[in-house]
Amino acid sequence: MTSIISSLEDAEAPAKRRDPLLIVLWIVLVSVALIWVAPFVFIVFTALKTNPEIMSTSAFAPPETMRFENFAGAWERGNFSTTFRNSFIITLIKVPLGLVISAMAAYALARIDLGRIGKFLLVFVLFGAMIPFQVMLAPIFTLVNGLGLINSYPGVILAYLAFGVPYQVFILHGFFRAVPKEISEAALIDGASHFTVFRRIFLPISLPVLAALLILDFVSTWNEFGMALVLLQDPKMWTLPLGLMSFQGQFSRDYAQLNSAIVMTVFPAILVYMIFQRYFVSGLTSGAVKG
Amino acid sequence: MAKFVRALALSTALTCLAGAAYAQDQRLTIWTISYQAEKQVNALKSIEETFEASHPGVDVEIVMRGTDEHKTSLRVAAGSNTGPDIYMSWAGLGLGGEYVKAGLSRDMSKYYDQYGWEERLSAPSLAFNSAFAEGKHGIPFRFSGEGIYYNKDLFEKAGITAPPTTYDELVEVAEKLKQAGIAPITFGGTVNWHVMRLMDMLLEAKCGAETHDALTSMEADWSSTPCATEAFAEMKKWGENYILSPFMGIDEPQSNQLYYAGRAAMALQGDWFVNQLAENTSDVNDFGVFKLPTGTGRLYGFAEYWYISSKADNPDLAAEFLDFFTSDELQDQIKGSFGALSVNTNVQVAEDAPAMYRDWLALFEGATGTFVNGDQAFPLDVTTEYFRVINEVASGNMEADAAAAAMQTFIGNRG
Amino acid sequence: MTSPKLFSSPRTQAAMLMGPAILVYATFAIWPIIEVIFLSFQSWDGLSADRAWIGVENYRRIFTEDPVFWAAFRNTVIWTVMSVIFPPVLGLLLALGLNENLFGRVPLRAIYYLPVIVAPIAVATMWRWMYDPFFGLFNQILTSWGMTGLIQDWLGDRKVALYSMFVAYTWQHVGFSMVLFLAGLQNVDRSLVEAARIDGCNRWQGFVHVTLPALMTTITIVLVLSTISSLKAFDIVYGMTGGGPAQSTQMLALWAFTQSMQIFNFGRGSAISVILLLITLAVIIPYLRWSQRREEASR
Repeated sequence: MTSIISSLEDAEAPAKRRDPLLIVLWIVLVSVALIWVAPFVFIVFTALKTNPEIMSTSAFAPPETMRFENFAGAWERGNFSTTFRNSFIITLIKVPLGLVISAMAAYALARIDLGRIGKFLLVFVLFGAMIPFQVMLAPIFTLVNGLGLINSYPGVILAYLAFGVPYQVFILHGFFRAVPKEISEAALIDGASHFTVFRRIFLPISLPVLAALLILDFVSTWNEFGMALVLLQDPKMWTLPLGLMSFQGQFSRDYAQLNSAIVMTVFPAILVYMIFQRYFVSGLTSGAVKG
Repeated sequence: MAKFVRALALSTALTCLAGAAYAQDQRLTIWTISYQAEKQVNALKSIEETFEASHPGVDVEIVMRGTDEHKTSLRVAAGSNTGPDIYMSWAGLGLGGEYVKAGLSRDMSKYYDQYGWEERLSAPSLAFNSAFAEGKHGIPFRFSGEGIYYNKDLFEKAGITAPPTTYDELVEVAEKLKQAGIAPITFGGTVNWHVMRLMDMLLEAKCGAETHDALTSMEADWSSTPCATEAFAEMKKWGENYILSPFMGIDEPQSNQLYYAGRAAMALQGDWFVNQLAENTSDVNDFGVFKLPTGTGRLYGFAEYWYISSKADNPDLAAEFLDFFTSDELQDQIKGSFGALSVNTNVQVAEDAPAMYRDWLALFEGATGTFVNGDQAFPLDVTTEYFRVINEVASGNMEADAAAAAMQTFIGNRG
Repeated sequence: MTSPKLFSSPRTQAAMLMGPAILVYATFAIWPIIEVIFLSFQSWDGLSADRAWIGVENYRRIFTEDPVFWAAFRNTVIWTVMSVIFPPVLGLLLALGLNENLFGRVPLRAIYYLPVIVAPIAVATMWRWMYDPFFGLFNQILTSWGMTGLIQDWLGDRKVALYSMFVAYTWQHVGFSMVLFLAGLQNVDRSLVEAARIDGCNRWQGFVHVTLPALMTTITIVLVLSTISSLKAFDIVYGMTGGGPAQSTQMLALWAFTQSMQIFNFGRGSAISVILLLITLAVIIPYLRWSQRREEASR
């Protein structure tokens, strides 16, 4: 084992001498990683077994035959076609729209001199990034209900937009401020409006940040539960997390299908993460640490 | 991309058109809880289809939700303009009464006269309809009794020859089972209301009908009524000795699963459980049922009602649907699916029904009255506290006198 | 058509650019904060037209009569303290390890980060199933290892339920701290570390004297973010225990929700929300001041 590792180490960094401490470290990290993936393995295996098999075989024994019909069954019973569609529509509208309005606001706050008002507005917006909306579920419900938007896409999308704005403005504001002044000033002197400068210059250069935010926001919108719980009472409007919760309540004794339901709920987010992993991490860190 | 946008626009247009065509039909929206047995779901489906067939242009839509979601949704419906035409709720002041008080229910006296429902439906099930407010609210479609199911094999193994008839005998039975290495009874603790049934039974057994009613209506003082403390003490005993352990970390469906698998000898369940047993075990006749041995003669149970919403667009159509639902013909067709006994007195138990249905029939007929589940008698906040106290006692963290005191303090503080 | 003059003032342009975001944010995020403060002084069932002003009555009742509030408060504090210790420390250790030039460190990072993107409610459902006392993973493993004495009712026993839940939370959140620390480590000057080595410092001394001071900013940010996200603990409690058994894992966010949305005592629920809000502010205001000073200093 160790020889393999060290030979690989050698291959990677031939000049470096073997460090026994690094080998121990590697073994520790890999073992912990195994523990970290174990729940996923367990869930996927369970999802592919029959219920009697779950009761009788060990947790990490692979399924005897792949029972993909568990997925079909859970899909049917859990109304996944409905919840998938709702999650998809809400995410598809909310995420790009939120990014556009946040970018516009962040640009104005970062590049247009508004004096004291500008400073105040910035603090006003950033304040929201810190406040957990979980404490305001009841008044949000009252507000949306008062507007007649309970059980509707606009109701939940507007609420999501509001709570997405602060964090996105925070990150984009930091990014826009760091852009050298000369770039925009030349254009402004030529008579271009701020709209043009924003669209022609700032949007294109911020694409990597926007991409990172897009993925972050996709995941958090896709996974959101608390607000959906109070704003979407009608099962026809439920999103995936609500559907999963209700599935657990009703069919918790059908372990195979329950685990299939978990896999189906989690899968899209993991897929997106796998594909865009690079942007994801840089997006997280660019705002929070360097900004 | 352009293609995609065009496709999107086209599909949006189509949806709008479909929606417009739809709006011309009459729609009857019905909200209810999601039922677990397939028989019940199928019965609802067939009712929907039959009614639609006999009423062209009417679109019946039955929306089912988990119990807690259903309650919250009704609350929302009461406060907004959206909502169903007909909704299901329980009878009794605690849950059904809540929505009547909120103005969600429509007075149905007119329809009672028009269709003669008083003559058609059984007296115990109707008992609640005029208790809420002026007029008549709701129509019963189901009256459920709850009793104790027992596994005949396991009783035999423990040397028990006959089901218990008094509370002391029940404790003896539990003790015998325990001695034989068999878990006496199973509950699922996470849902709260399941363990509560045991507490309701203990209060009835220890306090008798009158005092129990005084306690649940919060007229009697829990801490100075000794039987309340005694009942909590019994609860603690059951939790420590007789309930299949661990039970606080599982829910009711899991507890049932354990019961089907023969892991416990008894289960405190309603008459609907016969269907679940039939669907989940090899022979339903391996099980029997007996009345809660409380000594009062009252049946433990509750009624479920259909209410017409005060916001229904077409209450006459809703009433017509409910008349159809409770009619002799339909009730005869779906009998057995919502419980042993139909609310319609003209409907007889089917010839081929499981033997346990006859037992249930006997229990219903022999009852001197009813007492309802605690969560339907109490207001919501007291129910939450009742659950907490029961769970504390059942898991051995609270003494009986402290439990009674906690209940009384909470009730006293409501002011 | 709009006249070009309308766009001429930068202020007007700024207003139009900020308008949508500020409007939706003020309506759906700021207004509810104001509303929740109002509601906390009122008695309202969420339904009827009349909301009675009752002063501090809701607060008095919460502090003196609510049998669950103090337990929820205590749990929230325990939970927060644990969340600023365990996930960040584990995250830092992983980051230090994965900052070394190791074989396969990229997939390893990905694995540790994976749980972060799983919906919290799915994490709750997953772990609830793993904690199942009869067929779940943990008791199965303990049985197969012959350690039946350690078998627990993980989520049903009030002595362990909160901690069982916290293990799931840690599993989900370590990756988040790890990524932040990895980013922070990019800012640590490698040559300084090497120099310290050459000067005869051992690894530990190098860590304490070079790496740790350079990480101070990151550490502060991680701690603040961990605190905030722990105060938000809602989904995972709702999904795993619902606050049970016997409200022993109840926390402020969920108890506020329960009072408002399930018992329909909006006044009481809002008062609990306000208390949670105040706790949050007590953490973030010093942080905002600190970061403002830092920004000014760096200019």
